[in-house]
Amino acid sequence: MPMNKLILFYYVVLWGGSRLRGSVRRWKQPVVRGTDWFFNVRVQPGFYEGEGKSLLRRYRLRMLATAAVEAPIAVALIATGHIPYLGWLILASAIAVHVNHLFNVEAAERKARGFATPGEDQPVSAMLVPLETRRLRDYTNRTVERLIVFGSIFSVAWLVRFYLDSPSGHNFGMVFGMPIFLLYYQLGFLLMKNAVVQWSAPIPKMQAEEHLKAREERRKLYLHVADASRIMVTAGLVLWPFVVGAPEARRELFFKAHFVVLMAMAVIFGIWHEMGRNSVLKAALRANPVRMPDLLNAQPAGWPVCYQPATPTLLVRAARGYSLNLANRFTLLGAGYLAGFFALIMLLRMSQ
Amino acid sequence: MFLTINTDDARAIYQQVADGIKELIARGELGEGTALPPVRQLAADLGVNLNTIAIAYRELQKEGLITVRHGSGSVVASRTSNERQQSELLRPLRTALTELVLAGLSARKIQEIVAHELQTVTKGSAK
Repeated sequence: MPMNKLILFYYVVLWGGSRLRGSVRRWKQPVVRGTDWFFNVRVQPGFYEGEGKSLLRRYRLRMLATAAVEAPIAVALIATGHIPYLGWLILASAIAVHVNHLFNVEAAERKARGFATPGEDQPVSAMLVPLETRRLRDYTNRTVERLIVFGSIFSVAWLVRFYLDSPSGHNFGMVFGMPIFLLYYQLGFLLMKNAVVQWSAPIPKMQAEEHLKAREERRKLYLHVADASRIMVTAGLVLWPFVVGAPEARRELFFKAHFVVLMAMAVIFGIWHEMGRNSVLKAALRANPVRMPDLLNAQPAGWPVCYQPATPTLLVRAARGYSLNLANRFTLLGAGYLAGFFALIMLLRMSQ
Repeated sequence: MFLTINTDDARAIYQQVADGIKELIARGELGEGTALPPVRQLAADLGVNLNTIAIAYRELQKEGLITVRHGSGSVVASRTSNERQQSELLRPLRTALTELVLAGLSARKIQEIVAHELQTVTKGSAK
């Protein structure tokens, strides 16, 4: 099967399947607690016969907006033969889906609060804050880390030796292009893991155990996603020497095999994470949603981005949804990471 | 181990944080040398301004209950290093006792309350 067909297969079947699964989950999300609820707002009886119906429709239409943008771009890329660019489309689409969902849920909940059951939508007064210091090493599987470190070092060392044996005979971009990106992804997933470890919020005193369990289940899932991605990246790096070391005539075959192995891993991890999502949902359903008080008492940000050094959170409440706090450490790290990513692309292009 | 914060409480958030940590130290749940979460983490967990937690930590440091080590965060200080004057320590007790007397409680009742509170505060403490 030609490489383009493999990419197309990945995009249509695997990415399409994952998008479909995500859309079904988001479609059901407003009523996952039953028709007494709209997301985390307990609504008055008859809500879904009245204003709730149009709120639900608007939420679902907005949810599908990303697909409406993505589909014509995908068709255009496929029709014009730019199939390798589908990878970039997947990346952009994944980011757009999550950002759109965040704003969509926020807007839908904000409007639904006008129809909340009287007295049920008040912020709780008593809350608990954990006093433990969360460190990355407390959420680290040492065996996995050793495998990642040794696998990466072994692979890079082999590639360096292979390249130095005959620098004029090997293309630098061909030998090191993919490994450099994979190592950079590794760094990105490590940053993501660190952000997940740091992520927290106060929990209500009422049903504290259930809320804590729900949060830890969610943290566990996100940490699994980060670690599974890091394992996949390492597998890609460890298998790369087999591709570049293969005889010229069979290199494409090895390259395809490399792609297929990573695809298979993505499918296995995807199924595993879907199963993990079910336990997250079960734990979340056991804890009744509550509104937490806003202790920041800050003026809502007026722009999609803001600079608030004294505010410790990544996202700050804005008049409409959220505003990205540019003073937050993770915003700076994320911006630096993206800048580094584009710099890498430029450098590799220049080296070819 | 949790800090309880209540928005109905008349005390400011920073005071509730400082008092909560003091209680945990008194009960022995936060032992000598135990690391406290960094200011940034606790502020993010609670969703408050960084200065709110910084003020609470500064108050605890001023009272000699925690020590701030640059680079490694704040840790619970040794009780022996707490060199506060006895008169200073007695001042809040005297204020509280005055309140109870003014509320019309008998000396016996006040003694019972103090004994009960002391038992609650030192529950779990090794000292």
